[in-house]
Amino acid sequence: MEPPQKPVAPPALPALPTLKLLDQSSLPPFSKPIKRINDGPDVSRFLKSLAYRDIGIFILQLNHAMVPRHQPNTPLPRVFPLPSANTASNTPSIRALQELLKVVESYLDEAPPDPGPRRFGNVSFRKWHGLLEERVGGLLDEGRLGETLKVGNGQAKEEVSSYLLGSFGSSQRLDYGTGHELSFLAFLGGLWKLGFFQDGQQDGEIEREIVLSVIEPYLRVVRKLILTYTLEPAGSHGVWGLDDHAFMPYIFGSAQLNRPINSNEPTPLEGSVRGAPRPADVTKPTAVEDYRKVNMYFSAIGFINDVKKGPFWEHSPILFDISGIKDGWGKINKGMIKMFNAEVLSKFPVVQHFTFGELFSWDLDPEAAEPAQSVHMANQPIVSAAVAGTSAPPPPGSGTGAPWAQATRMPPASSGPGIPYTRAPPGPSSGSLGARPTGRSFGGETTNAQISVTKAPWAKD
Amino acid sequence: MSDLDRAIAQLRSCRPIPESQVREICHKARELLIEEGNVVTVAAPVTICGDIHGQFHDLMELFRVGGDVPDTNYLFMGDFVDRGFYSLETFLLLLCLKVRYPDRMTLIRGNHESRQITTVYGFYDECIRKYGSANVWRYCCDVFDYLALGAIVLGASNTLSTSTEPIDEDTEIEVCDQSGTVMSRFPRPMQRPNSAEGHARSPNGGGGSGDKTGPPGSGASGSSGGSIGNPTGAVLCVHGGLSPLIDTVDKIRLIDRKQEVPHEGAMCDLLWSDPDEIDGWGLSPRGAGFLFGADIVKIFNHRNDLSLIARAHQLVMEGFKEMFDASIVTVWSAPNYCYRCGNVAAVLELSEDESGTGLFARSNGDVGRSDGGRGVMMEGETFVRNGPARRYRVFQAAPQDSRGMPAKKPVADYFL
Repeated sequence: MEPPQKPVAPPALPALPTLKLLDQSSLPPFSKPIKRINDGPDVSRFLKSLAYRDIGIFILQLNHAMVPRHQPNTPLPRVFPLPSANTASNTPSIRALQELLKVVESYLDEAPPDPGPRRFGNVSFRKWHGLLEERVGGLLDEGRLGETLKVGNGQAKEEVSSYLLGSFGSSQRLDYGTGHELSFLAFLGGLWKLGFFQDGQQDGEIEREIVLSVIEPYLRVVRKLILTYTLEPAGSHGVWGLDDHAFMPYIFGSAQLNRPINSNEPTPLEGSVRGAPRPADVTKPTAVEDYRKVNMYFSAIGFINDVKKGPFWEHSPILFDISGIKDGWGKINKGMIKMFNAEVLSKFPVVQHFTFGELFSWDLDPEAAEPAQSVHMANQPIVSAAVAGTSAPPPPGSGTGAPWAQATRMPPASSGPGIPYTRAPPGPSSGSLGARPTGRSFGGETTNAQISVTKAPWAKD
Repeated sequence: MSDLDRAIAQLRSCRPIPESQVREICHKARELLIEEGNVVTVAAPVTICGDIHGQFHDLMELFRVGGDVPDTNYLFMGDFVDRGFYSLETFLLLLCLKVRYPDRMTLIRGNHESRQITTVYGFYDECIRKYGSANVWRYCCDVFDYLALGAIVLGASNTLSTSTEPIDEDTEIEVCDQSGTVMSRFPRPMQRPNSAEGHARSPNGGGGSGDKTGPPGSGASGSSGGSIGNPTGAVLCVHGGLSPLIDTVDKIRLIDRKQEVPHEGAMCDLLWSDPDEIDGWGLSPRGAGFLFGADIVKIFNHRNDLSLIARAHQLVMEGFKEMFDASIVTVWSAPNYCYRCGNVAAVLELSEDESGTGLFARSNGDVGRSDGGRGVMMEGETFVRNGPARRYRVFQAAPQDSRGMPAKKPVADYFL
């Protein structure tokens, strides 16, 4: 409940960066994206890459667009609820992706779950995924997608399609996690860079359409896949993770309920829009039912309630604790972005599967801050560049290229958010521990371990 | 009432005990465990349990279904902690029971009883949340290093102990529900060339391939002149499975186990490996341990006079799964795993052999004592009574309605 006319205008913040389009007159040599993160220390290298910068810019751009806006001549802010599930967009690019998701979803009918004995994940998911692999080329040839992707002798299409293929879980492991979600974001970001979304109304409107009319429908398809094929949560930490599968709906959903701004203002770090449900309503099943159709955060919670039996505070203690936050959805939004940066982008088990080409490049970002070095990087693959207290965050506007810092005035990945509570890294007190755990895995999911199968954190694949 | 009994009572009501008491109990437990070999010998009757993963209320359900401690003799095959909300209460209760009733409670190590794994999969976070510091986590991890790596069950009967209903002594497998009602029984197969009953025998279709030839190793145990004196062959219990570096149980005994679980090697494999429908050894998708096929199990069992390997480590929807002609079984004891998997859980009961040809035969010279026709049937047969008779008690998640909501805890730094 923030009074709208009290802007605490910070002095001359740099404008929120947006993801730059590629110059169509001098396109880079596209190629099939390849894996670059093969070992722990590669994660800190990733945190200095152009790809990392671009992912950050794109998420914050989308996030900023979701925040309610002040409107002239009325005290009522404009909010951005989810449209009803079958609303077709008038924007051709958005409609093309809505159609694509519908087609992809329809493959479910062609690959019914196998009724035979199984351990957990249903093997028919492999058939579904096979259909996707077989047909993705054709899907991306159609209409506006085809127009956009024919640049670069078809190589641009190859880059984009590999991110789309990586968006729907692992057919080998029969699991789905935040790494796959990240791949879908890269798919959209790649299309953005190629100018695919230039047909929409810029300055926020097209971003909102991407989130509400593409990402949420994508999440709906994924949830259907998870239910149909009992896909395992990749790398589940059990009750000690934020969510078994998803992260993005918590970012964008909390942005939807954030304090209203004018479009040229930064994303607020606290406060809520008038009329927003209270964070504590997350624990009330009836409130969740009321809001899940209009808000992405509640939509995600609703899915948890659908699949889990037992008290919410017990099976989802992290979300339960967050529901006690008193400073509004802005605070939650800020925390989710920090947490995403630390628990998804900075975690080897998640980002090791990310691939790099021209759209998301492994090249060094010349303006990247140096991630803090830690002993953990030297000797084991689980690294997180986020080590609290190892370096002070650069002052805002100091010219660092970390989008996280610019957009929300939060410290970059290299210095900040890793350690929840007041935890010290667990020190070895006995035994011969060849490689130390980082002790900072808190809420993230990984894409390579499973709910029923613990994977070695040091495993590479 | 001693302090220990008070701690047990408090933990049974799912309330953590003070840090100082944790330290004391962990210290006592370590003194006890340090005396155990890498492979603990356990005499039947015993109830064998698989992964618990902090599902405290379901552990209470397990005790209700399987009988309380110390009335029932328990063997837990590790993975007490991680993923669930009550790893702390779960592990500490089991540990207190171990200290209180050392001969009625056997705990062996799972791959989650490790510093590195618990920092990733939740137990570390839970300790911080519940105590505000990592001390209790450290005390527990120090105990983990002393847990045995496996157990050998001797003296298991090839007939089931009396249940509520009369039971045909040819019954090899009985499956009961959580109220003890018999759901199904499977007779011991006679050795026939074309075993059509192979399907009927395996309660959950886990048999895989091949004829039912009876567990390998049975011939050896019948004719081995009582190297172990066990008509059914012994049962090896281990969390994960076998290792290419381990061809005899004695080699397990040679491991220096008092350390963090290594990333590779025999000790790692025992805690991480999985059986699979392959020939020989395979790479594990887990990134630690190996996959091993039926041939590996059969050779190992034969060489070591084992009739069965009991292990845990993998979720099975039906609570237990026998594989490779019942030479290995997976037991899983965390129902509706992670609040969502929809699986049932199981424990495996092995009853005590009272025929006199079992574990105590050599010591009391009472060979041949028999009741009814059993002795007659035993004479001259070398193949029928192979593995021990097995009773699986299958149970579901404990009711959830009665748990009050706790206060919200401070959130992670991200949200400050």
